[in-house]
Order: sequence, then C-alpha cells, then structure tokens
Amino acid sequence: MTQGTPGTSPQSFRASLRLESQCDFDSIRQSTRLIRSFLSERGLQDLELDAWELALAEAGNNAVEHVMPENRNIPIGLDVSCDERDVEVRVTDHTPGFDWPDEVELPDPTDEGGRGLFLIRSLTDEAVYLRARDQNCLVLRKQRSGEVSLAQPTVETLQTRLAEAETALTEMTDELASCYESLTTIFRYSAGFGSSQEILSFSKNLLADLAQVTQADAVVLRIANTGQSQLPATTTAPERFQGMVAPASLLSDTPSFERDAAMNRQDSWFDPDTQLSDQDPLKPLGMALGICHPCVSNDQLVGTITLCRNAPDHPFAAAQLSLLHTFSDFLAIQIVNTRLIEERLRTGVTRRELEIASEIQRTLLPANVPDRPHLTVAASCLSAREVGGDIYDVIPIDSSCLFVLVADVMGKGVPAALFASVLRSTMRSMAHLHRQPGRLLTAVNQLLHDDFSRVDMFATAQAAYVDPSRGTLLVASAGHCPLLLWTPGNATAEAAGDAGLPLGIEQNAVYEATEVPFPPEACALLYTDGLTEARNPQAEFLGQDRLAQWLAETASKSDSARAMQSRLLNQLGVFRSGSRNTDDETAVLVRHLP
Amino acid sequence: MKITPVDPKTVEVSGLLELVAANTATIRDGIRAALPETCVQLDIDLSQIGFLDSSGLGALLSLHKTLRARQGSVRLINPTQQVLQILELTRLHRVFEIVKNPS
Repeated sequence: MTQGTPGTSPQSFRASLRLESQCDFDSIRQSTRLIRSFLSERGLQDLELDAWELALAEAGNNAVEHVMPENRNIPIGLDVSCDERDVEVRVTDHTPGFDWPDEVELPDPTDEGGRGLFLIRSLTDEAVYLRARDQNCLVLRKQRSGEVSLAQPTVETLQTRLAEAETALTEMTDELASCYESLTTIFRYSAGFGSSQEILSFSKNLLADLAQVTQADAVVLRIANTGQSQLPATTTAPERFQGMVAPASLLSDTPSFERDAAMNRQDSWFDPDTQLSDQDPLKPLGMALGICHPCVSNDQLVGTITLCRNAPDHPFAAAQLSLLHTFSDFLAIQIVNTRLIEERLRTGVTRRELEIASEIQRTLLPANVPDRPHLTVAASCLSAREVGGDIYDVIPIDSSCLFVLVADVMGKGVPAALFASVLRSTMRSMAHLHRQPGRLLTAVNQLLHDDFSRVDMFATAQAAYVDPSRGTLLVASAGHCPLLLWTPGNATAEAAGDAGLPLGIEQNAVYEATEVPFPPEACALLYTDGLTEARNPQAEFLGQDRLAQWLAETASKSDSARAMQSRLLNQLGVFRSGSRNTDDETAVLVRHLP
Repeated sequence: MKITPVDPKTVEVSGLLELVAANTATIRDGIRAALPETCVQLDIDLSQIGFLDSSGLGALLSLHKTLRARQGSVRLINPTQQVLQILELTRLHRVFEIVKNPS
C-alpha cells in the first residue's frame, strides 16, 4: 500500500517520511500506524503520538470519504517532516475540496458525524487547507512538547543550519523572480488587449511566453472550429512541432486526451503512469508528461492548451498550472473578442449589400408610369424589408392600350426579391402575349415551373390588358387577390375575374382571361394581399370590402389615378395609425378618362 | 470482539481493539444485530481499545440512539486514556455513562 522514503540528514535532527496511501480506510489506518512509529522513533511522547495518530486518521479518512470517483486510484500523499521543535504533515487529497471554516464548531451531541475537522483543529497548532484544481493539501503543524534530548548545537550544526537557510533563501528568490516574470508577461498582454490583433500571431507569442514561464518543452494550442466538431492544431511552441500534431476531432472515437479535456471541461493529465494511447494525436511529440486545459468562455468551448515535458520525473508545479489557466483565460477572451468584431463587420457588409439590392429593385420597377390619352395610371410599392417579393409593371401597347401586372412571390426578403425580378423579366419578354393575359400566365407558368419547383417557391400574379377605345378590360389571375373594378353609378367596387392556381404549382395549368366592361370614368385597382391584410392598432384587417368601399368613394371625389392613389394611401395611413407594415404592399390604379 | 448477553436486559461487548473508519460499520451493525429486543443496557468495554477515531465515536453514538429509543442506555466501561481524551475533546463524555471499574 505504501512506499516509504524515510530520510534524516546526519548533521541536523530533521527527518522526513513520505508515504503514499491507497484511497481506502484500511490503507489510511496502516499509514497512520507507520507515521506513529516513525514519530515515536523521533522521541515524541505518547500523548503527542495519540494526537498525531488521531489527527492524521481524521484527515486521511476525509480524503477517502470525499474523493472524486475518477480519482479513486490516485494515492493520498502523506508527507511527514520532523525536527527538534516541530512536526509538520502534509496530506494531499484528490477531493473537490472545501472551504476550511474560520471557526470549527462541534455538531449537536446526537449527530453521529461531523467531528473530524474539530478534532484536527484541536489536536494541532496550525491547520491550513490549500486548494488547487485537482488536488488539495492539508498542512498540519504542531510544536513538540517537552525538551528534546539534544546536546548544545555544535559549530558544525550551526554552520549546516546557516547553509540550509541560505539555500532556502535562494530558492525563495528564484520563485519570486519567476513570479515577477509571469506578472510582467501578463501585464504586457493586458496592455495589448484593446488593439485589434490577428489571432494567430497573438497566439504564437502567447504560446512562446507560456512555454518559457512554465518551463514546458512543448505547448500545443487547438482552437475549436465554429461548428465545435474539430480541434485543429492551431499553433505550437516551439513552432517546429506543429507539423507533427494531427487534428483532434470532437466527434470521432480516436482516443485523444485533449478531446477528453475539451468534452469534460476539465484539465486532463498524462504521465508515465497514465500514458497516452498510441493513436493519440499528441503521441508523435514523444513527451513524457503533460496537462491539457480547456479554454472555455461563456460555456462555449474555445479550444485547448496543452503543456508537455520530456522529463518524466519533473511534473508541473501548482504555480505553473495557475499560469496556464491565466494565459488560457487571456487567450479565450482575445479570441472571443476578435470573433465578435468580425461578426459585427460581416453584419455591416450584409446590411450594405441589402441596401444595394433594395436600390436595384426600386430601379427595376417602372420609374414613370406612362399615361395614355384616355388612361391615367398610378403605382406604389412598399416593401416590409429592404427588398421584397412584390412587383408590378405597366407597359404601353399601341397608342392607347396598357398592359398591367401585379405579382407577389411567396416569402419576403432577398430570395423572394430575386425570383420577383426573374418573373418580371419573363413577363416583359413575352410582348406578343400582353394582349392575352390568360395565355401569358399559362406560358410563363410553363416556362418557370421547373425553376419555381427547384427552389420550392411559387408566386401569385394578376395581369390585365386595358383597351379604352373598346371600353374593356381583360383580366387573368394566378391565385392572386381579385382585381377591384368600379364603374360609374355603383356604391362600391366589385371583384373581377377568376382566381386560378398560383404560378409554379401545376406545370400544365391553363389560365383563362375574363373580359369585363371598362367604360369612361371606370377604375381598376390591382394590388397584393399585403394591402388588404394591413391592420389597425386593434389588429383588424383592412379587408377587401373596406378597400372596395374606399375605391368607390375616392373615385367619386377625384379624377386622376394619382390623386386617387394619394387619397387611398392617406386613408390607409389613418387606418393603420402607426402600426408597421409586415408584408409588402403594392397597388396599381388605372382610370379611364372620358 | 465478544458480545455476551448478561441477562435479558443487559448485553456486554468486550475485546474491541480498534474502532476506526475501516471497521465501524461492521462492528456497529454486528452489535445492533445481536441485541435482543428486551435489551435496555449495553455495556461496551473499551479497556483494550488501541485506537478510536471520529467514525468510532459515530458508531458509539448510533448505538446510544438505538438504546435511547427503547428507554435504555450505553455505558462505556474502562475507556483507555486515548478514548477518554477524544471523548472529552468532543464533549461527549457527558452523553455517555462512563464507568471506571478497577476490577
């Protein structure tokens, strides 16, 4: 169960014993017995021996009782050191640790447990609990009682003690210097923080510094990809190692102790006792021991940093691990910041591109709607976003007629807008069918059906051919909301034409046009359903009936289509009273002037 | 360890050498199982005990509770210096009846 390494330096009285106890109560019991006899040989009295035996039993039992299951096979360390004045024992446990209370109080007399800490505290002069990430150390000290039978120190003893003190002082100075060096490095990073730095060069510098301050023979940084599936070797220190380190995958089963650290969000170790698997991506470096720390920011895995050493008997010290953690925090913040800045830039670019698209779409709509001798036309199109899926077109035919189109591509935004442009161009290109809106819709549907299906889209459309000399209007609809027609003498406007299937649904659909009378003063409104689905603050729809009513009222008050349209838009604004439009709203108004 | 029923009301436990984390559960449960229902007096001889830790105290307290539940009590017979020290330190010497019997 234990490996003992007792030792005494001949010149002084100092003696030490190092035990490693397995993590179970029996082994702890055996270790406390060994320590008792060790201290007994150093001349401690029975009462002192009882106290140490009990204090160590309590400390050891706690270390067994609270060990993390995965650490059950790591031995508990018991380091005893004894001189003529004091005894000090360090108990190293692998429990999650706890906060040592300022005042240790006794539990209720009927409680069966909870006396361990009290006993430890009562039986020793000093008990300090040092917590670290994977292990904790309980340092117990107690002055020896009574006189120790040791002759007056000789000159040699005094010289030895002086030499010991000097060595200790040198070691402390070295440690202080290394702390100072680390602090300076950290301050340097703080200073460089605000300035936007390229991640890779920042990481390279950081890794080189980290290798130096932790005396690591190799440092490997992996930054997780945005999909959180891969851990490529981003950079290494020294850089020549980079080519030797394969990427680690967060998804595959290939053993990787870095992947384990990343998945468990916990430091992972390897050393001569727990060696790397042969397939581990780090194996080619041939390192004897290492520790991997996952960099995490806001619960998101940023990457891993691994420190390695060649020498198997030279593990990383707690202070060096703290440095690893500090550097890792710095790096995680820098990486997250850089990503945020890039994201902001990208969003800015996308916004600008949308503005351009919106501009293009506006220029594609007819700038000036042509009036004919006996026809006035007004058109408006209001998109819910920068770009929309609504289009309209007004094309003069011969000297007096007009072709009018209103269409609504399913969806909003860029995809709908792109398709709307295609639809408009196709409609425009079939000039020979502008007098026959039914055949036009049939042909366009046939032509675009495959394209529509490929992107899973469809469109509704309304096409009309207006001939004032004959006083007729030919209207065809592909699933579109009906054209509203007002003729003089009527109190309201009427819906005209049949609905039909939307474009892009049925390749062989046949669209029929309906001819309706369009006498002087009559007017027709072609629109998209965004208009009738406009809501007032009470969430009521405008609706087709109300729109038809407005059209009739406006027609009796105004002559030109443009005047009518501004009245209608005003009315719409009042109805909406500030609620925002959520869909594209398009309207084309045609009026027959006498 | 030896468990001896003295009479229907009294059970005596002796020969305990250690009462520590490694064995408390076994010893406690062994004693408890051996108690007849009529037993209201449990005498535990601690004169031979070499070492007792806080989990040993826990076992004694647990047995004490068992006996208290039936209006009985636990007496600690001739505890060693180490046991007395820990009992006093944790102020449990007032909870148990401690009998020092020179014979």
